[in-house]
Amino acid sequence: MAKDDNSVRIFQGLLVLGNVVIGMCGIALTAECIFFVSDPHGLYPLLEAAENDDIYAAAWIGVFVGFALFSLSVLGIIGVIKSNKTLLLVYIILMLIIYAFEMASCITAATHRDFLTPNPFLKQMLERYQKLEADNNNDKRMSEEVTKTWNNLMLQNQCCGVHGPSDWQKYASAFRSMYSDADYPWPHQCCVMDARGSPVNLDGCKLGVPGYYNSNGCYDAISGPMNRQAWGVAWFGFAILCWTFWVLLGTMFYWSRIEY
Amino acid sequence: MRGNWVVLAFCSLGQLYADQSLKPQIAASQLATNNPSLTTVALEKPFCMFDSSLSPNKSYTIYLYAMMESAIAISSLVTDNRSKPLNSTFQQTNGGQLGPYRAALFNVPNCASPPNLADVGDINKVSDVLKQYLFRVGDDGTRLYDPNFLGVCNPPLAPDSMYRFKYMLVDNADSIMKDQTLWSDPIKTRRVKLPTKIDTWPGRRSGSMIVITSILSAFVFLLLSGFLACVSSAVKGLEDSSEATRHMSQTIQQSEPRLQVSSE
Repeated sequence: MAKDDNSVRIFQGLLVLGNVVIGMCGIALTAECIFFVSDPHGLYPLLEAAENDDIYAAAWIGVFVGFALFSLSVLGIIGVIKSNKTLLLVYIILMLIIYAFEMASCITAATHRDFLTPNPFLKQMLERYQKLEADNNNDKRMSEEVTKTWNNLMLQNQCCGVHGPSDWQKYASAFRSMYSDADYPWPHQCCVMDARGSPVNLDGCKLGVPGYYNSNGCYDAISGPMNRQAWGVAWFGFAILCWTFWVLLGTMFYWSRIEY
Repeated sequence: MRGNWVVLAFCSLGQLYADQSLKPQIAASQLATNNPSLTTVALEKPFCMFDSSLSPNKSYTIYLYAMMESAIAISSLVTDNRSKPLNSTFQQTNGGQLGPYRAALFNVPNCASPPNLADVGDINKVSDVLKQYLFRVGDDGTRLYDPNFLGVCNPPLAPDSMYRFKYMLVDNADSIMKDQTLWSDPIKTRRVKLPTKIDTWPGRRSGSMIVITSILSAFVFLLLSGFLACVSSAVKGLEDSSEATRHMSQTIQQSEPRLQVSSE
């Protein structure tokens, strides 16, 4: 009998430990997803205009799932220590629901990351940057946001276009129809700026003299943060779910062995 | 020995006609990387091309003529029959389609001290170096629409078109052509592609997405089946125990009257 008691205690201890880890991971997931949702790099308008912002939806789900995991882990610890069948049944059912939500978040983040290649950003930049005429207010707002985002991107990262300044020369664009090639072969934000925010030498920039224009593309500055967000949400969530799977199986087994 | 003299003679003959075989060149591509662009072409100024025709006490001006490649069939003359340079403008020649137009006038570049191209690294000197070294045809987008402007118009060129250029040395005193280069090789301006033609399909799915989806689906299936197994075993357990309690209560009821009988 003592041996039985011991093994039950050990199993209880394992389940409590499992729930403690789930609780801590839940808090970490909430914190991570709040960070991503706050959009520190200001890239959300690009995705919103492309109607491809599901990695942000995945991060939003992650905020709530993380907090729910923490609350449920507390419930689970109480249920295991008290060996209360009702509490544990509630815990298992709610955990299954949260499991499904988190699974949705992981799969969404991983799937929609695949759509973020250079070409959609290039096409959007050419069609929306500095576009003045709009179909409706929403369209106009999105074009303005895209223009603002690109200007910030190009100035802060000292880059130009998606692949490079040649994007503006190779393709027709809303920008090209507004500004002549003679004065603006590419936007002036592509020029090397002095301390006051004006081009060091405008003629050098227009001719493409090395050192007076930024010849590298902005794609790395866009894809870096977005990849980190997508992989952070998808893989951390996956790790939590792998751990939770075993804890849930253990809890179900424990629940089925509790005698009234 | 005689061969050497022949070669020397040819060389000097060649020198006499050097300016006749020279053509306007496009600016160095390491310096001007965006060249030719959609509507502009940057040309090297004619350094040392006209030196044999310059007299020391006279002043000269260089004229730059531009025309479309297709205009060769119509007219490629840049002077009239009295060697006076043509005053054709961009508008008159329909942008160079009907013949050459005069795109610019500038001073003869200094052959003795040409600009040092390495100086473009210095932000104080770069404007001067660029101005002395090259000329950008098509630079001026606004003059075409300015009715008050009386100078030489240098409007943007047409995209995706071949152009040829020629330099002419003109004596300021009598405005007569002194010398001219050949027409340059055809230079083509860039053309644009439409952004709607850009293919945004990402191609195949990444491996990570497949791993995450497949493993999580398997886990969810196992969890649900485990949950169903638990619940069904609990329900069965309840049924069994309720049958057992019915049995037990029946046996107790049966044994109680027997006890009562035996006690009586």
